[in-house]
Amino acid sequence: MNALGFDTAQLGLAAPLCIVSIGGLVLLMLEAFSRERGPRTHLAALTLVVLGLAALAFVRSWSAPPQAIFHSMLVVDRFSTFIGLLILVGAGLAVGLAGGFMREQRFEFGEFYALVLLATSGMLTLVQAADLVSLFIGLETMSLAVYVLTGSWRRNAKSSEAAMKYFLVGAFASALLIYGIALVYGVGGSTNLAAIGALETPEISDPVFLIGALFIFIALAFKIAAVPFHMWAPDAYEGAPTPVTAFMAATVKAAGFGALLRLVATAFARPELTLGSNGWVPLVSILAIATMTLGNVAALRQESVKRLLAYSSIAHAGYLLVGVAALGLIGPEARGPILYYLAAYTLTTVGSFGIVAWYGTHGDERHSLDDWAGLATAHPAGALAMTLLLLSLGGIPPTAGFFGKFYLFKVALGSPALLPLILVAVANSLISVFYYLRVVTAMYFREELRPVTVVRSTGMTVTLWIATFGTLALGLFPGWLVDLATQASLFVK
Amino acid sequence: MIPVSHFLALGAVLFAIGVLGVVIRRNAIIVLMSIELMLNAANLTLLAFGRARHDAHFHALAFLVIAVAAAEAAVGLAIVVGIFRNRHAANLDELTLMKR
Repeated sequence: MNALGFDTAQLGLAAPLCIVSIGGLVLLMLEAFSRERGPRTHLAALTLVVLGLAALAFVRSWSAPPQAIFHSMLVVDRFSTFIGLLILVGAGLAVGLAGGFMREQRFEFGEFYALVLLATSGMLTLVQAADLVSLFIGLETMSLAVYVLTGSWRRNAKSSEAAMKYFLVGAFASALLIYGIALVYGVGGSTNLAAIGALETPEISDPVFLIGALFIFIALAFKIAAVPFHMWAPDAYEGAPTPVTAFMAATVKAAGFGALLRLVATAFARPELTLGSNGWVPLVSILAIATMTLGNVAALRQESVKRLLAYSSIAHAGYLLVGVAALGLIGPEARGPILYYLAAYTLTTVGSFGIVAWYGTHGDERHSLDDWAGLATAHPAGALAMTLLLLSLGGIPPTAGFFGKFYLFKVALGSPALLPLILVAVANSLISVFYYLRVVTAMYFREELRPVTVVRSTGMTVTLWIATFGTLALGLFPGWLVDLATQASLFVK
Repeated sequence: MIPVSHFLALGAVLFAIGVLGVVIRRNAIIVLMSIELMLNAANLTLLAFGRARHDAHFHALAFLVIAVAAAEAAVGLAIVVGIFRNRHAANLDELTLMKR
């Protein structure tokens, strides 16, 4: 014990968070006091070192028993460690993509690396939050950094516009969140998630408490871009510099789902809460159906590959929400498939947006579907990688996306009440295959309209290979990750 | 003494005005102000609950919200300035580069 009132040994458990936030601040200062105006290769390398150290610290804490630290503000358990590692992987891959992209498009944004680390520290706080206050702080730290990243390409009007839309909707969502927290705290008398979960009537049947809980849910639904709270996502994903899109599509969603899963397992686990006898399950089911269907139907008519992937990423939030609904009816076993799905989704999303970033040169980003015609002749390897990633997004074997969907639906089938929801999800997967194949046919079966040009960058190539092989490897050998996800799912406090 | 419920009601009304402002106003700066109003409604609610429950933790949380609101305003205004330099517009209806 010390003056702060907690055991300093707890700092060891919070090591990943400390490493990432201190790293972010150090990088920010390095950039502020440097005269370097060219490529910041040294900052990228340093960022990867920081992320690697944080990942090592996470791996070390895997065997520690789950415990709450810092006056129960954060909790360190295998669940948060699993998602934390996913976030670090997503951030690392995005950093790998960024250097080549920024050099090619001639906007050297040195703060990129510091902001990625600061956003990552917010995400780690979000998934480790055991208290509504740390949840709010984590969400804000993450969001503020990501807004700036979205608008970081200052000469590009689309990037500014995307940042504006993302910011206004995101700030609206955080205002909802804090008002919801104020209501829940005011009625319940505690911000601790476990303490809120232990409340009895009359508190939990108080309409003010229910409204507060609903606002907190809606705020998280905005962050994971669930329909009808998704309107910012297509524009933000399309307008942001592509490595940033890869970063936020993968990691912000993972962190949001981490927080959502913890909330429904702790604070709002009571079936008496919200609608009907099944608790929040009907609400989440409706959200899931709307999200999957709208995401996929809107993706069908996109002519821009980047926007198509943006809608596809909305649809994926819908599949994940099927898992959240299953969690309410089946119990903690349903958390394993969600974690596996998030892992598959992270790799595949970073990979596919990465290929969009890789395709095209200065002043000529190749986003339109017509531009992708003939990629297979000019760049067989790139086209093959993209095909594999798209198959994974569509849920076709032998990829990670296939196993993720298979595992999720198989576990969800454990409850007959979920059958309609799963049928809708399967039908949606079939629709999605159609538009993924549009990109594949353009690459393989159409003549190129303009000469194919790609960014030449070792960092980018290596990153894309890692993501592609990772997607394939997770699909072919899913066993070890399923084991880890299962272990992680049983240790939520 | 004014009962606490009056403050809670005022907080709710301010919050509703903020939400309305976000939904119907089209100027980015006004929308930003409406969001600030929502945050302050949350603060008022926190302080009212803090007084009712004689709990200083509510006040501490309100300070956190003030800090977050300041950070948010800084980033938000920077984004508005950025977009104004690119497009000479602060009207949200004119931001349609990516509509289809």
